[in-house]
Amino acid sequence: MIKEILKNVFLKKQAIQFPEGFNISPEQTVKIVDFQKKVDTIFHRSLRIRQVDAGSCNACEWECTALMNPIYDIQRFGIDFVASPRHADMLLVTGPVSRQMELALKRTALATPEPRLIVACGDCAKDGGIYKGSYAVTNGVANVIPVDAVIPGCPPTPTAIILALAELIDKVAR
Amino acid sequence: MERIRKKAVKTWEYLNESSFEVRMDDFKDVCRHLYEDLHAILRVMFACDEREKDGLFRIYTVFDLPGHDRFFIIVLPVRESDHRFPSLTQTIPAAHWYEREISDLFGLSPQGHPDGRRLVFHEAFPANSHPLRKDWSMSETDKQEWGGGTTIKVPHPFMEVSGEGIVEIPVGPVHAGIIEPGHFRFSAIGETIFYLEPRLFYTHKGTEKHFETLAFPDGVKLAERVSGTSSFAHGVAYCMAVERMLGIAITEKASAVRTLVLELERIYNHIGDIGNMCAGTALNLGYMKGAAIKERLMQLNEILTGSRYLRGLNVVGGVTKDVFKQADDILKTLDVTTRGYKVLMELLLGSVSHIERLENTGKLSKDIARKLGVTGVAGRASGLSDDLRKSHPHLLYDRLIFEAHTHEKGDVLARMMIRAEETECSLSIIQALLESGYKGDLTVPLKTAPPFASALGYVEAPRGSLFYWVMAGKNGKPLRVKLRSPSYCNWPAVPFAVHGNIVPDFPLCNKSFNLSYSGTDM
Repeated sequence: MIKEILKNVFLKKQAIQFPEGFNISPEQTVKIVDFQKKVDTIFHRSLRIRQVDAGSCNACEWECTALMNPIYDIQRFGIDFVASPRHADMLLVTGPVSRQMELALKRTALATPEPRLIVACGDCAKDGGIYKGSYAVTNGVANVIPVDAVIPGCPPTPTAIILALAELIDKVAR
Repeated sequence: MERIRKKAVKTWEYLNESSFEVRMDDFKDVCRHLYEDLHAILRVMFACDEREKDGLFRIYTVFDLPGHDRFFIIVLPVRESDHRFPSLTQTIPAAHWYEREISDLFGLSPQGHPDGRRLVFHEAFPANSHPLRKDWSMSETDKQEWGGGTTIKVPHPFMEVSGEGIVEIPVGPVHAGIIEPGHFRFSAIGETIFYLEPRLFYTHKGTEKHFETLAFPDGVKLAERVSGTSSFAHGVAYCMAVERMLGIAITEKASAVRTLVLELERIYNHIGDIGNMCAGTALNLGYMKGAAIKERLMQLNEILTGSRYLRGLNVVGGVTKDVFKQADDILKTLDVTTRGYKVLMELLLGSVSHIERLENTGKLSKDIARKLGVTGVAGRASGLSDDLRKSHPHLLYDRLIFEAHTHEKGDVLARMMIRAEETECSLSIIQALLESGYKGDLTVPLKTAPPFASALGYVEAPRGSLFYWVMAGKNGKPLRVKLRSPSYCNWPAVPFAVHGNIVPDFPLCNKSFNLSYSGTDM
């Protein structure tokens, strides 16, 4: 372990290159750079997200967790996930909102202080996804709490989530 | 077995399933004989509304005997007018949740069950409403009140622990990290957990009922979205159940693709879990290293199948892509993975502070694990040598040479070491698979399902044994789909593992089991 620490201290730290599977076009890379500037100016390098699972299969959660790994590393933009809705600027909701999570989701949204953004992440959060029509779901987050943006995908890849957040910040900036 | 055959009213065999229909009076005795005298394991227990066939409900109890590739299904017909059946829980503790689930979803009451509370539905769901019955409906007002969550229609009392110095700590359903919802009620003396009662089913989406509205080819998509990290395993189990029911056999090539991708899923899950456990002990270096390796594997998944979670590869009858054509990509990534994994394990096993947190924490005894039917990584870490790849070789597992690993201690360190050993095992299985060639097309044509035909599908998912059971209805759609994910068996064991540990070790224990809430809640 000491070797690892010394390596980080003495070797020149290099950002991990986006590996070959990271499909992103040049226009989109510009968006990410702009995104950085916007998060700096609007949110003063501190956009705090509270992720709420309203009944998802967990794939969307793992993609949100992947945002914190050394490759996507949203913390370098100043974005972080927080433990309490009271500390959050944004709620990132996944899942088709199962009925037994409806009350918990509403209370979490109420506990998030204004100004706040609510983002529905994933096909299930958009309109129920594959679960649409089941007796135990409400067919989308918009049927429970007002939603500012929707990120489609099953699940949306971490790249898609970052790009969607960039577009949302754009909207907020205007 | 002779005793059971004599008592059975009807017997039938299909593939490796032997079914025995018994009378209400013999049910408990037959099951007791299987469990106590023959040391059978209760795999899954469920009910089916077959009233359109012959006016009866039927309860299916699936056992298997260690060392035999056979499933023994005890079938009990239950009349609607007298909707009670004898409870097995006092003899076979593993039946406890299955019986409560049958009671909630079908309204058949287990007589003599020690826990009379509802399992699946929370307080605001109406009483005497049983969704999996064919003639069930629910009014809009009831649905609104259910979602509203504040009206108490059926109370759910938690066990209260009283005494001096006892603190009751409720946690959830919304948890602090990026994790699924569930409610935990701790009773702690100081920092030591004296009693934990979990309350799950917050993510109940009515999956089993929803399957009945989807034709078999569409059902695969739903099966893949029950539990995200074992998407592929669920897809394979569902396809296997439907294929066995239709009586079609997939080609060698499709079997090989499924075996390879199942092992890929196992590797990314295990390495991700080993890394996650470091988050539980605040060893961020290990956490990030594990996350970086997992990310590379997820990107391999996307290259091979177009989906990071291996979705869209399974269809009923085979697979959609031949991943063997991209063998170079697989080998290159696995090479990097192996090196990264070795560095990670060296780091973790060399870190005394990390290992000290893991050793002797969250011990699950072999006795409790066996009684509750704990399966998968958690079971093998507690000394139960149960691996479906060995006991019921499916796909190409009978051709491959590998071991089922077990550890005796049952603590968090044992669960981590099982994952590490299985990762190495899976890496060598994939190497072995890539060395041979396989014949056949990717898919085979389907047949129409004869009504009321049924079959089991089973797979060793990354977390443990996974079972699906499908019975065909009259219109090309299923009459009943029963899915039992490995997390369903393992959740009841968590309170026993955390007893005596300190509250801050609970997230670590939880991460060491890494159970899926969505797979349990269906």
